[in-house]
Amino acid sequence: MCRVERAVVRSIGCGFLATGILGGLILVGSRRLSHFDAALVAYTFATLFATFGIAYRYAMWLRRPPTAMYWKRGWQVFLRPGFLLRNLLVLGRRLLVVFAMNRFIWRRHVARGAAHWLIMAGTILAVLITFPLVFGWIHFEAVEGQMDRYVTYVFGFPALSFHVDSLLAGLVFHGLAWASILVILGVMLAMRRRMRDRDAAALQRFGEDFLPLILLFSISATGLMLVVSYEWMRGYAYEFLSILHAVTVIAALLWLPFGKFFHIFQRPAQLGAAFYKDAGARGEQARCARCREPYASLLHIEDLVEVERQLGYRYELGAGADHYQHVCPKCRRTLLAVAQARRFGTPSRGEA
Amino acid sequence: MPVPADRHFFIDPRRCIGCQACVHACSECDTHKGHSMIHLEYVDRAHSPQTVPTICMHCESPTCAEVCPADAIKRTEDGVVQSARKARCIACNNCVLACPFGVPKMNVGFELMMKCDMCYDRTSVGLRPMCATVCPSQALYFGTEAEARALRPRSTPVHEFRFGQQTISTRVRVMLPGADAAGPLDVTAAMHGEEAADPMAAVLPEGDLA
Amino acid sequence: MARVPKGDLEVLGRFGPHLSFPEGDRLDRGVEPDRVVKTHCCFCGQQCGIQLKVKDNRIIGFEPWEDFPFNHGLLCPKGVRRYLQGSHPDRLLRALVRDEAAEGGFREAGYDEAIRLAAQGIARIQQEHGPDAFAVLTGASLTNEKAYLMGKFARVCLRTSNIDYNGRLCMVSAAAGNKKAFGIDRAANPWSDILDAEIVWISGANVAECAPITTDYVWQARERGAKVVVVDPRMTPIARTADLYLPVRPGRDVALFNGILHLMIESGWVDRAFVEQHTTGFDEVAAHVREWTPRRTAEVTGIAEKAIRQAAEWWGTAKRSFLLHARGIEHSSHGVQNVLGAINIVLASGRIGRAGCGYATITGQGNGQGGREHGQKCDQLPGARDLADPKAREHVAKVWGVPPDSFPAPGVDAYEIFRRVEQGGVRGLLSICFNPVVSLPDSDFVRRMLEKLDFYVAIDFFLSETARHADLVLPGSLQEEDEGTVTQVEGRVIRIRRAVDPPGEAREDWRVIQDLAKALGREKGFTFTSPREIFEELRRASAGGIADYAGITWEKIERQHGVFWPCPSEEHAGTPRLFEPGSWNPVARGNGPFYFPDGRARFNVARYAPPTEDPDAEYPLFLTSGRVVSQYLSGTQTRRIGPLVEQYPEPRIEMHPRLAERLGIADGDWATAETRRGSCTLRAQVVRTIRPDTVFIPYHWAGPKSVNRMTISAQDPISKIPEYKACAVRVRKAEGPPSYVREREAQQ
Repeated sequence: MCRVERAVVRSIGCGFLATGILGGLILVGSRRLSHFDAALVAYTFATLFATFGIAYRYAMWLRRPPTAMYWKRGWQVFLRPGFLLRNLLVLGRRLLVVFAMNRFIWRRHVARGAAHWLIMAGTILAVLITFPLVFGWIHFEAVEGQMDRYVTYVFGFPALSFHVDSLLAGLVFHGLAWASILVILGVMLAMRRRMRDRDAAALQRFGEDFLPLILLFSISATGLMLVVSYEWMRGYAYEFLSILHAVTVIAALLWLPFGKFFHIFQRPAQLGAAFYKDAGARGEQARCARCREPYASLLHIEDLVEVERQLGYRYELGAGADHYQHVCPKCRRTLLAVAQARRFGTPSRGEA
Repeated sequence: MPVPADRHFFIDPRRCIGCQACVHACSECDTHKGHSMIHLEYVDRAHSPQTVPTICMHCESPTCAEVCPADAIKRTEDGVVQSARKARCIACNNCVLACPFGVPKMNVGFELMMKCDMCYDRTSVGLRPMCATVCPSQALYFGTEAEARALRPRSTPVHEFRFGQQTISTRVRVMLPGADAAGPLDVTAAMHGEEAADPMAAVLPEGDLA
Repeated sequence: MARVPKGDLEVLGRFGPHLSFPEGDRLDRGVEPDRVVKTHCCFCGQQCGIQLKVKDNRIIGFEPWEDFPFNHGLLCPKGVRRYLQGSHPDRLLRALVRDEAAEGGFREAGYDEAIRLAAQGIARIQQEHGPDAFAVLTGASLTNEKAYLMGKFARVCLRTSNIDYNGRLCMVSAAAGNKKAFGIDRAANPWSDILDAEIVWISGANVAECAPITTDYVWQARERGAKVVVVDPRMTPIARTADLYLPVRPGRDVALFNGILHLMIESGWVDRAFVEQHTTGFDEVAAHVREWTPRRTAEVTGIAEKAIRQAAEWWGTAKRSFLLHARGIEHSSHGVQNVLGAINIVLASGRIGRAGCGYATITGQGNGQGGREHGQKCDQLPGARDLADPKAREHVAKVWGVPPDSFPAPGVDAYEIFRRVEQGGVRGLLSICFNPVVSLPDSDFVRRMLEKLDFYVAIDFFLSETARHADLVLPGSLQEEDEGTVTQVEGRVIRIRRAVDPPGEAREDWRVIQDLAKALGREKGFTFTSPREIFEELRRASAGGIADYAGITWEKIERQHGVFWPCPSEEHAGTPRLFEPGSWNPVARGNGPFYFPDGRARFNVARYAPPTEDPDAEYPLFLTSGRVVSQYLSGTQTRRIGPLVEQYPEPRIEMHPRLAERLGIADGDWATAETRRGSCTLRAQVVRTIRPDTVFIPYHWAGPKSVNRMTISAQDPISKIPEYKACAVRVRKAEGPPSYVREREAQQ
């Protein structure tokens, strides 16, 4: 069996494993489906499918030589004894600055930062509310004898209780509406850029760039319509709207492993890269074989040599003694001109 | 719209006068406005005014994309290797270090690799890239192969390059001497070689060098 | 009186130069411009076509203009970034009046008040000391219309003989040489003739940095097999790839040309038929160059004899050729002799007036060609007419509606005007488009003379280093704020289109001048309502002259992408190539191709003499100066454009490692250069691309970084061009960074 096939089989295995774990958790968390809302079964199956897809794709992705190298090195440098505590602190800061605040996206452009942050915040809020409810991990029961108090059950265990008119209740019951509004605002900002800016016009693709925005908008809009329907229109067209909403959500779930949304799962690799850089900066630096200037960490260069070999590149120089990776980017750029000048026989460094 | 298949970049670093018009113009294109993607460097200023402009060579199988752990670098059907996808790039620097031509730039604040994308907003609608449009020496030229050959009958565009044992094919061409020069151009062979001489030595009488 | 009232730094703080960078709508990729204006770059005589994007009366960017036949969209960094001079924070929006108490020494004033004050000041000086006591200094970046109006204003309104322009620093040696040899002062050929040359000879022209887009013409010729010979004390980027590079010792160009002619005669490479038929004076020149043997030429020029022989052979045996020169040979106390030497080898080759056979000087300033034709020169009337010529006076007087004897006699050159200040003959000054504090040699003298003036009015868009000395500053217009025509390097008259309106209370320069004329009570002849009306009068004034614009209309310029003068009638298409059989020539009238009554070109004996101040034991090195690609002239505009300043922030002293080693200076060290006139402490740039006996400093900076505090005010006796390219200097390692490093930003 060739490598590719073996990789596929293993990744399928990963997919099944992840799906199985989630299925198990649903069974446990909903107390053998006793708190499971049968009306939401389609959502559950779409989620299970998405889980399979994401796990499969993630596993395939991790098999690519550069990704595998980063995966391995990322954990190694993070868990390195003596650095773990510091790494954990740094991790906390990075989670806040990179993931919670999206500082790097705000730096690209304020409108970009705002769009992404709004969409991200709305989506996370919605996911936190809906997924546990759908899986039956959370349900609410009225406190006996106190019709205006609810108890929250998490994984079947009673947790918080609250008054039906409290602020918390308002937040919990209307959380999805707020999430929708955040997402819609973010989508509008993103759409404005995509429809207005010439760089976007040149580069964007429907499937990659518009479809996710359309999906997010559809989910949020139909969700809001549901709220409007039961709050102010006495449930007008509620059935139809709930089916429509389900269709949009399920479509997004099924598409999760394939398109732009997959970046949500890839993105934590940014942390691995950051810790890898930290470790590299602490270690020995590579010096360019041509100009002798330091240009990257030795760790990084030697890993790249290995990755390039695995990818089938033959950047070895001469008798295999040295490797082109040991030449810095600046020298790489000037070498092209020197090589060309030599072919012309014109002086390149001033030889007359 | 794709970039027309018959339109190519032709680079002739011999012509470069180091004026940086390309560097300035690059940051005026809509695809990467405010960010210049070109490198313009002296080869060795102490010895020569020679400079070299570096744009993306748009490899047929781009090393940068292959070493990218995040699948962030894509080559569109028209052979243009695009800048890293913003949603995916994890700013790991692999591409910056592995590109055989030294092209990608890391924008640290953005945590994003950015590189020459052939001014996609222009080339995809039939315009020429900013750098090649303005380049006063036409060290950077953009046109069809037939146009390039007609304008430069004494040199030949080549699009294969050797780095050690590796040959890389690119969409971008480099001019080599002779009407029938053949590639590949052995780039790494230029790593070693002659010591730089004083350019004044050959033309000045002895006394003037004292 | 005209002393900079406050500390330098306070002026800098208020008026700059500050830097502008792209921001806001200039970075927004979603903004659509209201219109895109096809015009030309304002920086340098190439006058590349460019399109400016305009939004809300603001220039927000550019787009190359690929259809314009001269540059086909090519631009240098100055062209790419030129749009950043618009909407600049340093832009003068209101008139300024000297006020010691105000910040930076000026209070703002209403436009009308300022015009009134200006007129009063001018009138007072002229009443008390005569018309010549008030001088006018103008510039070659002005449009033809403005240049014409300035000349008319000086002669008709002010009746002063003292008007001159900053082309005096630029093109005059070439102009004088061309007139002596050809009878006409214009590039003999369009640039397209470069392509067919077998040899391109470039003397004293840093083409890559001063006329960047000409590089492509040179390379196109090379691709067709041309050889390139470059003569320069520095190995410039164009010299690097030249087939032959001749690192001439500063100030010795004419010796080289004489040596080449000597070898041409010796080897039988002279086109005898051409010389016989179309020239005079060859024998005398041949006798003169007999002493210029290769050995002597090598000794004087500092170029190896072998290289001189090679150059002579290539030049002598070519079938088609193009010789280009620029300030490198012209900025000399023997600038005209250098130019005549160059023309002699062109004439001896017989390769002129035909396709692929050409000769030209590369003009430096925006309207370097047109600016020297229409009467802002001290001895000139429109149409390149001679002010001393009674027939010329009569013609122009008729067009202007004044008696011919009302014109003042020819005046003196720009530098001499400052000497007249010292002697007390000149007491007042109006300047426009000229920054002599930075651009004239021995500039401490110039600064002292400005301080000595009784009354000084400047018209400017930014407060230049010179305008800081003014009693009154009137806010004028940037190139893109007005329309008109200019004449670029080839002699092609082109259109400058207005992209935006002058901001605030700034006015188009021609309106400012007309308002002054009105306030002086001599409005007659200064009631134009548009630059186009001025151009129509210029056409009539130039008609019949050598620079004949009579047949040029703005429509024709649009239609033909420019019109080459001479163009005597509307039916005439213009004259891209001079000296062709049958081409328009009002002087020879059929007697021959050149602009003399007999139709023959003149060989002129070109005499060598060393620079006025050659190195000696005390000052053992040559100091030479020039441009960098990212800056333009005195930097009034380009030192305000952030990305251009970043490219080359401050001047450096360029020197050879052998010299540096002897002086104990390493690359990047602070070094002090000192001449008999002044000194500068700058960082050293140690490179093998300059002669070991020469140091180079670019000239675009002011104050403590200004090389012109050290240059010599020696002038060519004929053209009056200053000797910027050679004087004696000594260099030593500085003890530490100069104090300006802490006080000033790089561009200040």
